[in-house]
Amino acid sequence: MAPKPESQTTSSSPVHTTSDDSSIDPILHILKIFPYGLLRLPRFRLKLPTLRLPSSMAVFSLLLLTYFAVVSGIVYDVIVEPPGIGSTQDRHTGAVRPVVFLPGRVNGQYIIEGLSSGFMFVLGGVGIVLLDLALDRNRARSVKVSFASAGVASVVISYVMSMLFLRIKIPAYLQ
Amino acid sequence: MEGANGGGKSAATQGGSKATDLSASNTFLFSLKTLKLKTKQQELLIRVSILCLVYILAFITRLFSVLRYESMIHEFDPYFNYRTTLFLTQKGFYEFWNWFDSESWYPLGRIIGGTLYPGLMVTAALIYWSLRFLRFAVHIREVCVLTAPFFASNTTIVAYFFGKELWDSGAGLVAAALIAICPGYISRSVAGSYDNEGVAIFALLLTFYLFVKAVNTGSLAWALASAFGYFYMVSAWGGYVFIINLIPLYVLVLLITGRYSMRLYVAYNCMYVLGMLLAMQIRFVGFQHVQSGEHMAAMGVFFLMQVFYFLDWVKYQLNDPRLFEAFLRITVTCAVGVGALALGVGTASGYISPWTGRFYSLLDPTYAKDHIPIIASVSEHQPTAWSSFMFDFHILLFLFPAGLYFCFQRLSDATIFIVMYGLTSMYFAGVMVRLILVATPAVCLISAIAVSATIKNLTQLVRAKSKVAHTGTGKGTSGTKASSKASRDQSLPFQRNGAIALLLGAFYLLSRYATHCTWVTSEAYSSPSIVLAARGAYGNRVIFDDYREAYFWLRQNTPQDAKIMSWWDYGYQITAMGNRTVIVDNNTWNNTHIATVGRAMSSYEDEAYEIMRSLDVDYVLVVFGGVTGYSSDDINKFLWMVRIGGGVFPVIKEPDYLVNGEYRVDKGAAPKMLNCLIRSSCQKEQLEDEYKLSYYRFGELTTEYGKPPG
Repeated sequence: MAPKPESQTTSSSPVHTTSDDSSIDPILHILKIFPYGLLRLPRFRLKLPTLRLPSSMAVFSLLLLTYFAVVSGIVYDVIVEPPGIGSTQDRHTGAVRPVVFLPGRVNGQYIIEGLSSGFMFVLGGVGIVLLDLALDRNRARSVKVSFASAGVASVVISYVMSMLFLRIKIPAYLQ
Repeated sequence: MEGANGGGKSAATQGGSKATDLSASNTFLFSLKTLKLKTKQQELLIRVSILCLVYILAFITRLFSVLRYESMIHEFDPYFNYRTTLFLTQKGFYEFWNWFDSESWYPLGRIIGGTLYPGLMVTAALIYWSLRFLRFAVHIREVCVLTAPFFASNTTIVAYFFGKELWDSGAGLVAAALIAICPGYISRSVAGSYDNEGVAIFALLLTFYLFVKAVNTGSLAWALASAFGYFYMVSAWGGYVFIINLIPLYVLVLLITGRYSMRLYVAYNCMYVLGMLLAMQIRFVGFQHVQSGEHMAAMGVFFLMQVFYFLDWVKYQLNDPRLFEAFLRITVTCAVGVGALALGVGTASGYISPWTGRFYSLLDPTYAKDHIPIIASVSEHQPTAWSSFMFDFHILLFLFPAGLYFCFQRLSDATIFIVMYGLTSMYFAGVMVRLILVATPAVCLISAIAVSATIKNLTQLVRAKSKVAHTGTGKGTSGTKASSKASRDQSLPFQRNGAIALLLGAFYLLSRYATHCTWVTSEAYSSPSIVLAARGAYGNRVIFDDYREAYFWLRQNTPQDAKIMSWWDYGYQITAMGNRTVIVDNNTWNNTHIATVGRAMSSYEDEAYEIMRSLDVDYVLVVFGGVTGYSSDDINKFLWMVRIGGGVFPVIKEPDYLVNGEYRVDKGAAPKMLNCLIRSSCQKEQLEDEYKLSYYRFGELTTEYGKPPG
């Protein structure tokens, strides 16, 4: 049971006093005498903001954002503080080449590789959601077709890219 | 029949035989008809057979290391559990419950009966005794090795019922199949991994299922069952703190979203009160449920529920909304004020202890790195990178957000619970690699919801068109729905083919998941850690059994009361297999004692000798992997010894051992590093002062050991 929203209508005073007289609140009665017996309240046009629970889809988008952050390894980034992208030096030419995927360990990453992989996972999830939106609702045909094709494309792209990333990261994968 | 076939009988018998022939064929046809089952029975048969197959699959996929090496206990912690189970089966429960062990943590000793979670040992002992009662002459080691796969199979059954409670039986079946092979769970429940988590995940899922069932039905029996499930969880693993914080959080969310009901009241009160009383029976837990800060959330929500019930009752009595509003405001203010005051007084007076370091580092991940190096040093406690998630979950990482979406579409008490469980456990899995295990059941269940809902949509599309083609018009509501779908179908001509293609794609993805899981289990998670394998020069497999040979040497060739000093990783194994007293072992409860050992390992030899004399050490065990390139030996762990030692004794300073901020162990190392005890013990030439250390070298398969002083 949520606490009742404080949407009191502070309009004209006569309505106010009748509700005050029948109130059983002792503190209210004390306050009526001092100091509000001496002061005179001006006419307000303010209204306290009503606290409403957010819609379920709003909560869902917030949770999707949190999921993206966690799965990208943001806690790892904060604690271990890896560089955004790694670098090696070419032995012969001396040029500095960037290295995107941290080699050698399963539980290690650079920041950018974490974020891009997390984006792929969320893209796959969104693709499945789009598929469901395309199949279920009474929408216009063009909208359904575009949802369905976007959904299928998202799932395929995210799966292929995630497998590619994993194969680059772990060279011995599936051998 | 012979009488009927016999010739020379009367026509009556001939006619009788014809009649029996006819009735025989009639009964044959009749029995064929009874074999054809009704749809409900067919469905039941399919479900039961799928569950049986999943049960067997969950068991056999965990047997890789038993088939490759032999049936032995893996890793470090399981050896302690094995030793205590052995003691329990030999001496009985009373001796086990009151056991004081002087063989570990010399000279302090350890009250084992009061400092462990007995659930795992008691479970294995019960299985052992029941098998013995049925006259199966098994050894306790076999029971210990196979306990974890057995409980993994039971977890799949519980996952089926949980999925059925959350969504429908299709989701339950998918959940059971996913959790049977998920690598996140397999990593800690493979055969030979005789550790608390193998049993604890079963207890966790069982407690959650029983509680959700209690909230859905409001029955006291289910709430009672969930209290006993909680008791089993408390007896099995320290991670029960997750349950006692998630369930109050869930109740709070239900109260905020306006889903307070009598069912919730009955379920939570019964579970909390009974569960708390039962949990106090475990000596290790003791009175923590009323004294520790980690358990205060449950108590706070308990009192909040009483306030809600009281308000409901007053509302029912008052029949006056305005009076009730005023009363509500007063009561809520008073209740919150009294609660905050009580919490403040309890914390300030010290009665309510603050959050322990282990759990506080989950809320503030940077805490352990700065303040508690022992916790930060364990490799399982590192934060998780994306590749660990992908490795352990694969497809489920895509299906998890989709499953969340479906849960939000159909919000109920049960789906709110699984969403909360999934999100909190995913956050903790991001903080610590080890906790991916706790997140696995939630991820599997939510993914199962996504799979089940998507496949149901697709198959409905596939079947809708054929239904319209076969049934005529005017068959009631189904006919009108089908005809309306037909009118929509006509606008998308290739819908059926598209749906079939998508179904095939979904099955392809699930088959890739199964391939990935089997590969990961076989390559990454089936290593016993105590026996190592590598590829020889000709590609043949070479097995290093040096650890066990070293412990066996200690058991055979040292006096009975010899004391062994080693780094704390090997303590349990030395006590279990070498049967000798150790200075420190894996139960890292005394930081100063471990720091003393760390200081001895990193000091010059004369200082180290003094320290070891004071600890009464006879032998030192050191792991050196230089010859074969074994990467997790003591030289690589050395910096942690320095950090932990330096945490208590400021004499040890980490920069002394580094060269230009880099850790080197060859000729270019820092002078303190070159001359400290660990490194000189790993050099090949013999040293002629008093301490010749025991060490073994990989690859040579012969060991050289020194002699004790005096």
